[in-house]
Amino acid sequence: MAFRFKKQIFGFMDLIRFTKLVDKRRAKLENAPATPLPVTYRVNETAKILHPAPLTVKLVGIVKDSPDTKTYTFELPQKAFFRAGQYAVLRAKIGDSLVSRPYAISSSPYTALNDGKVSLTIKKSGYFSSYMFDKAKEGDEFTLSLPFGNFFYESVKDCPHIVGIAGGSGITPFYSMIKGIEEGSEDFKLTLFYGAKTANDLVFKDELDKVSNDKIKIVYVLSDEKSDGYENGFISADIIKKYVDGDFTAMLCGPNAMYNFVDAELAKMGVSGKFVKHEANCTASRDVKPKTYKLTVHIQDEVYTVEADAADTILTSMERAGLSVPARCRAGGCGFCHSKLVSGKFSIAGADKRRLADSKFGYIHPCCSYPDSDMELIVPRG
Amino acid sequence: MDKYDAVVIGGGNGGLVAAIRLLQGGAKVLLVEKHNLPGGFATSFKRGRFEFEASLHELNDFGTKDNAGDVRDLFDALGVTDKIDWTEIPEAYRVISREEKIDATMPFGIKAFIDKMESYVPGSRRSMEKFFELAKTIHAAQAYSNSVNGATDKKVMLSKYANFVRVGSYSVNEVLDALKMPKKAKDILNAYWCYLGAHCDDLSFIHYASMVYRYITKGASMPKMRSHEISLALVERIRELGGDVWFNTEAVKILTGNDGIEGVVLNGGKTIQTRHVIANCAPHLVYGKMIDNVPERIVKATNARKFAGRGLTMFLGLNKSADELGIENHNYFLYDTMDSKKQYELMKKISTNKVQATVCLNRAYPECSPKGTCMMYFTTLFMEDDWGNVSAKDYFKVKDEYVKVMIDRFEKDTGSKISDSIEEISLATPMTYAHYCGHPEGDIYGYESQYWDGLTPRLLMMNEDYQNGIRGLRFAGGYSMRLSGYSSAYFSGDISGRQTVGDIKREG
Repeated sequence: MAFRFKKQIFGFMDLIRFTKLVDKRRAKLENAPATPLPVTYRVNETAKILHPAPLTVKLVGIVKDSPDTKTYTFELPQKAFFRAGQYAVLRAKIGDSLVSRPYAISSSPYTALNDGKVSLTIKKSGYFSSYMFDKAKEGDEFTLSLPFGNFFYESVKDCPHIVGIAGGSGITPFYSMIKGIEEGSEDFKLTLFYGAKTANDLVFKDELDKVSNDKIKIVYVLSDEKSDGYENGFISADIIKKYVDGDFTAMLCGPNAMYNFVDAELAKMGVSGKFVKHEANCTASRDVKPKTYKLTVHIQDEVYTVEADAADTILTSMERAGLSVPARCRAGGCGFCHSKLVSGKFSIAGADKRRLADSKFGYIHPCCSYPDSDMELIVPRG
Repeated sequence: MDKYDAVVIGGGNGGLVAAIRLLQGGAKVLLVEKHNLPGGFATSFKRGRFEFEASLHELNDFGTKDNAGDVRDLFDALGVTDKIDWTEIPEAYRVISREEKIDATMPFGIKAFIDKMESYVPGSRRSMEKFFELAKTIHAAQAYSNSVNGATDKKVMLSKYANFVRVGSYSVNEVLDALKMPKKAKDILNAYWCYLGAHCDDLSFIHYASMVYRYITKGASMPKMRSHEISLALVERIRELGGDVWFNTEAVKILTGNDGIEGVVLNGGKTIQTRHVIANCAPHLVYGKMIDNVPERIVKATNARKFAGRGLTMFLGLNKSADELGIENHNYFLYDTMDSKKQYELMKKISTNKVQATVCLNRAYPECSPKGTCMMYFTTLFMEDDWGNVSAKDYFKVKDEYVKVMIDRFEKDTGSKISDSIEEISLATPMTYAHYCGHPEGDIYGYESQYWDGLTPRLLMMNEDYQNGIRGLRFAGGYSMRLSGYSSAYFSGDISGRQTVGDIKREG
């Protein structure tokens, strides 16, 4: 040994000190107080408000906003908080199926934080929304998970002026933002272009007309109707320029066809990349020759064999069969339904949004994948 | 009722490795993880065109095929090394304290490290050589201790590893002062202290020196597809060996009787019969809410311990390249002061904590994000529960303000300009860590490496802690005997997994 480490005057004292390490720790462990261990902690309690576990909620109010749209208000068993623009996932048992859908929250953040209430505004268009429109009644119980998504104002990267582009039922996240700006939970300038076919299709029109706040400006754009006080046509660069000066970040929520059109219009104005944000849309069924495949699903120690329609996403087939499986964004992006492919072929709707290692190790997102053969999957518990 | 030889609770780094070790030992194993993904903090997430690394700065002690570190040896033994594509980290670290005029970039390799230190701090060479000599002995003594499962022979220790015993009871600063290391060299060498989460007057020298030694001699690596690649590779291996892994499955109760562990109750009501549990989570949670009628000696022993740093990480996806933005290095430590005790005090409050350990992943792996972009993550620790004072109502505002503090710090210290190029941003706070992993107060570092509860006493008391606990219950992960950090967590799973194999043989 090149040198002998010595700290104390006599080296053996360093050795003795070492032998005391165990005695010291033993004494510390034995002599600590016997007060009961905490069951929870302040940060963890706040985290429960910010990221609640799936909640059993009661439907306490239904308002018909238009011939095909209603707002449903749910009472939560606890307080919750979110950023205006985020979405919730509503789940119900319909017949033998366990179905869920993501919907943008239309109520304000403080309503959830102070009153424990959350509203979803839903247009009757498919299986779940038709059930809600026709069957749901006050007093019914649902499972609600929230909040999710990144469709909100981010002060560090977005311009302080947001140009909102809403198409049809895409108004809901912006309605929450407007309420948020009014109550002070959100702080940015919003110019909202709200597109619909006719004035009758404008959900929240009466409420929006009452908004009086110098941070908020609302422009209605009707494609199929010409009338005073409304812009006519699609939401174009010309219409946007008429109301907006200077730098802005555009936030778009509506059908994919609207995204294609408005993105091109914004690009004409030199607005693209990080300055354009889209809310994702649920993956729809696809047009293929009718065919049914066999889907073998492992959930914990149970094995289920269900039918999978080639036209539907794998997630939809599992839900239809009544399996309790994880579902959140239904657009392939959030990864919550992350499942292991044991065997079989599949196609992904749109871009592959999986993590790199998921592709490598054969994980798929059933919410945006269609079956192309019989398949076997290991799926987390829903 | 389902019956397993052992149930692993939590699929973090420690739990995943423990499950493989149990399976290799012939046990029938169930691993339950409450999240939908494996890895705990070892994961990734996507935002727009970026896939962010959630936590790993670099995997220490991995080395190369020819110069394998202990982690590579472990991964070889587990059968996962070749399932993962690795890339090497270019340099050890850059440490900056603008206020104290320190700016040093340190290389890998003992000779290069000592030479570079001598260029920054003339006259430091002799003390640095002694430091590495001590560190080498510590490393060798630890290897010996592992080879005999902690049951070391006193005579062997004193004849072969006497310096290990001589330095073993001292803190980092006590030893470096005894080596007469110049202050500035100490400051640069100690830059890593925040990775272990205790200041250098408290942190055990053995612990620190062994980490620095591994890092400087073996280098560090990174899985190309982020730590999610490691976590999935470990799950793959568990399933290859016949183990069961259930996601979105939380263990809510651990059942005990006169003879220790009897079973585990899962959310949803299912009960698993087992006589052995490896808990990859905090003893505070296990004894605080998962087990009923915990003996008083265990309550006391748990109360004695101190939570380590509560985590916060900011993730940025930037729409310019690292070159364009002037980000030169892979790995930065930015401090107010190199006095780690003072710095530790400043890290207690949101209003005073401006420390950051920052990574630009493109500097290790240029292809990690699309061409013309780069990806960064900025991490800090809070040494007190100050986020507990933040109400839900103020939460988003406090977050936004803190983000600005972190960006400002980085820009001022390094001279690069990043604030105009932020395309994606995400901030994980103690609330986020509390939510995803359930840790008390958002603690990401387990129990603090305080002097009395450091690496050496924990390892020396490993068997005693088990005897004083509940039969059949062992721990893995950052709260256990190897303390926090990726490699430590993997080793804790290795140790607890192998020990449980022995327990099963002995205890049934």
